[in-house]
Amino acid sequence: MGRRRRLVDPAAEAGAGALPKVIAALSRSLPAGPSPEIFRRAKFDRPEAAPALWQLLFRLLSPRSADGASASLALEAQVCLVKSALRSQGYPRLVLAQLPEDGSRGSRELLLALSWLLARGPLPEQLLAQAHVQLGDEIPVCECEALASPGPRVPHVEAEGPVDIRCVQWLMGRLRFRWRCLIASQQEQCTLLSKIHLYTRGCHSDQRLGHLSVAETEMLRDPEGGQQLLRRLERENTGLEAALEWRRGELVFWRWMDTVLGACPPEAPAAATQPTFLPRIAERGLGRLELAARELRALQEELCEATGRRRAAWEARVGGQGRGPQWSSARQALQKAVEQELAALRWAWEQDRGPARPHGPHRLVRCEDEAPGGQHLRAAEVIQALRSQEACLEAALRRLQGQCRQELARLAGALPGLIWILPPRC
Amino acid sequence: MLPADCSRRLVAELQGALDACAERQLQLEQSLRVSRRLLRTWEPAGTLAPEARLEPETKEEDHSPACTPGPQDLKELELLTQALKKAVLARKVTSKAGERAKAPSLKSGSFATSPGMTASTPSWAPGQAGSCASEAKPTRGIRQTTVPAKGHPERRLPSAGNRARVGVGARATRPGPGLRDQHVALSAAPEAPESFTLKEKGSLLQLPTAFRKAASQNSRLWAQLTSAQPRDSTNATAAAKTYFLQQMQTASGRPGPVLSAAEVEAEVGRLQEACSLLRLHMKEELSAAPTDWTQEYRCLLTLEGLQAIAGQCLHRLQELHAALAEQPVAPCPVGRPSRAPPPCGGGAGPFWSPQLLLYSSTQELQTLAALRLRVAMLDQQVHLEKVLMAELLPLVSSQEPPSLALCRAVHSLLCEGGERFLTVLHDDPADS
Repeated sequence: MGRRRRLVDPAAEAGAGALPKVIAALSRSLPAGPSPEIFRRAKFDRPEAAPALWQLLFRLLSPRSADGASASLALEAQVCLVKSALRSQGYPRLVLAQLPEDGSRGSRELLLALSWLLARGPLPEQLLAQAHVQLGDEIPVCECEALASPGPRVPHVEAEGPVDIRCVQWLMGRLRFRWRCLIASQQEQCTLLSKIHLYTRGCHSDQRLGHLSVAETEMLRDPEGGQQLLRRLERENTGLEAALEWRRGELVFWRWMDTVLGACPPEAPAAATQPTFLPRIAERGLGRLELAARELRALQEELCEATGRRRAAWEARVGGQGRGPQWSSARQALQKAVEQELAALRWAWEQDRGPARPHGPHRLVRCEDEAPGGQHLRAAEVIQALRSQEACLEAALRRLQGQCRQELARLAGALPGLIWILPPRC
Repeated sequence: MLPADCSRRLVAELQGALDACAERQLQLEQSLRVSRRLLRTWEPAGTLAPEARLEPETKEEDHSPACTPGPQDLKELELLTQALKKAVLARKVTSKAGERAKAPSLKSGSFATSPGMTASTPSWAPGQAGSCASEAKPTRGIRQTTVPAKGHPERRLPSAGNRARVGVGARATRPGPGLRDQHVALSAAPEAPESFTLKEKGSLLQLPTAFRKAASQNSRLWAQLTSAQPRDSTNATAAAKTYFLQQMQTASGRPGPVLSAAEVEAEVGRLQEACSLLRLHMKEELSAAPTDWTQEYRCLLTLEGLQAIAGQCLHRLQELHAALAEQPVAPCPVGRPSRAPPPCGGGAGPFWSPQLLLYSSTQELQTLAALRLRVAMLDQQVHLEKVLMAELLPLVSSQEPPSLALCRAVHSLLCEGGERFLTVLHDDPADS
């Protein structure tokens, strides 16, 4: 190929056998991974390699909760979903969208798509983590996972026509009731968990843990289920070993993928008529954007008003006094300080806020002694963090409600001859 | 009545919230079932209650109409019951062999009948001899062995596992293996039945060796894998990946990187956070009482700076909005594209944390869990409040004259969370 090697690297010079081994490791670390032979055929764009790759991509891109149902989808449906999912992730090449729906061609493009996904993020590790066998009683410390994936199901109840506002009130009431039930069930679950932990104290081989979890106890109660758990665990271990092997040798793969990309005919530049193609986003996404815009506009108005007032007051105060050199140097110093503060503020949200807060599921361990946990989280800390979050959210809710009250009072004021008696605040 | 499109959006939003709640409830109930069962007296494995199997297959079997046994099934059942009766008799005769390996074989015998047939217990008259396990009351006919408290038998009859999920009515060949196992079971050892409760004997339990090995290997491998991550960013592999991505981009003929749905969402989320941070700062500045002119000036500059930033954020949102609005919508007949779940730490954080969460009392655990749910609920409420405000306030203000009933309902929804209502009185000047 005449491509200059960028770095001398032992992995690349390990010989011809390295590449199939690495690809085999990759396959083992992914669910439904095809054989290395498929990869080789895909490089030459052989049609027989296409269905396996479509299925692999489908498996990688479909929402994890839909595994059971979606495995039985026809190839055409899988193809469609893969295309749409890749589009929504921002896949740059247009050739993919033009591949036939029956999944009969395009194996090289699919290989490129797979590599693109692999290059963007630690895909095997993410998938393994998603399918991770939970041995402990896990409790998520933050709510981000739950909040980020709101109901992947299509809503089965859709209002077909205009509804009365009482329907909306009823739905809200139902929601409140469901939350109450949920909280009650959760309290019961906590009691039971606590009991199980208490009763199995001293059983665990791992000293840190000290007691069994529900999954482990269940395994002892039901050996059959325990065997299944063990098998799943062993499968996960195989996947993990494969992922490690993949990580050690993946440089060879990337070198090879450069050659695959080189073998592709260059794509025609996007036709002038086609605009920058952004993915289809569910209506919900657009709605969220509008809400955010609305909020920012309201904030801007408030700020405008406040600054206007302050500026006027300032001008009135200072306008009469002279502007000596002392004044201008002090002013510059202040400006600089304020700029720095604001830059730090911007950084606060632009940087996505580093992992200062613990997040993700943690294994629950009952531990009565007050010894400093050191590297482990204590429930008290989490409770504190959650309380402050709760306070923030409550404040936000009250503010919004206050806004509504003002707005409605204004509208009600337009109606003379009525007395509005607000409900007592309790 | 609300207009059609407004109704559709509101109902969809609320229904989504209800569905999310229902999903949580479902998961919670599954966990509750398991936990409750663990705290009861443990049934020996011979009379397996059908609800032990929590896999979806069993649930489907519970509800499928094909569950009611036909005449063929009843015949098979009869055969099986007779075989089991024989086994019971034989066992009473043979002496105790103390062979743990026989336990699974006995269990496999009763497996044949139990799973999946929960709906049809009345028609199973030969309910004794453990041939059927009704949902609520597992019979104790064949309770010849108990699950030993320590460990569990490692050697299993291969057929046992497979048959556990097949309902009785499935195939005619099934009694065959069942009978075969009965022969094996004839020489099985009867052990004195003991009841096992977690409360009394929980601390005697011990995890099997194979499991312990696998679990420690698992944590070791995860530790290796997560520590391999940061090294990546400094070596040739990361460079190779970046190069590949760049080549993919240029080969596509597109001018710049395309924003993915996830990225747009992430950015909108960041801008929302920006809004709340800005608001917080604004409040701070406005509530601070400046003591001298430097502070006053500083306050003024800060407020003006905040205003500028707010304007920039708004501009960015408008850009995103414009870009979204012009994209062509390609219909996909099946489902929706998946969304990569955005981790709250951002980027490739630890995939799951090996860090433990220590709690010291039931009370503490309950508080923790309740707070978590409360935060989730409040977040949902705030979101719903914004949605309702966006939909309902324009409605009320656009009506001339505003309908009293609507005003009252909207006030209750928006200002009181739907919990309380205000009263409207006619102030009739003629009376006063």
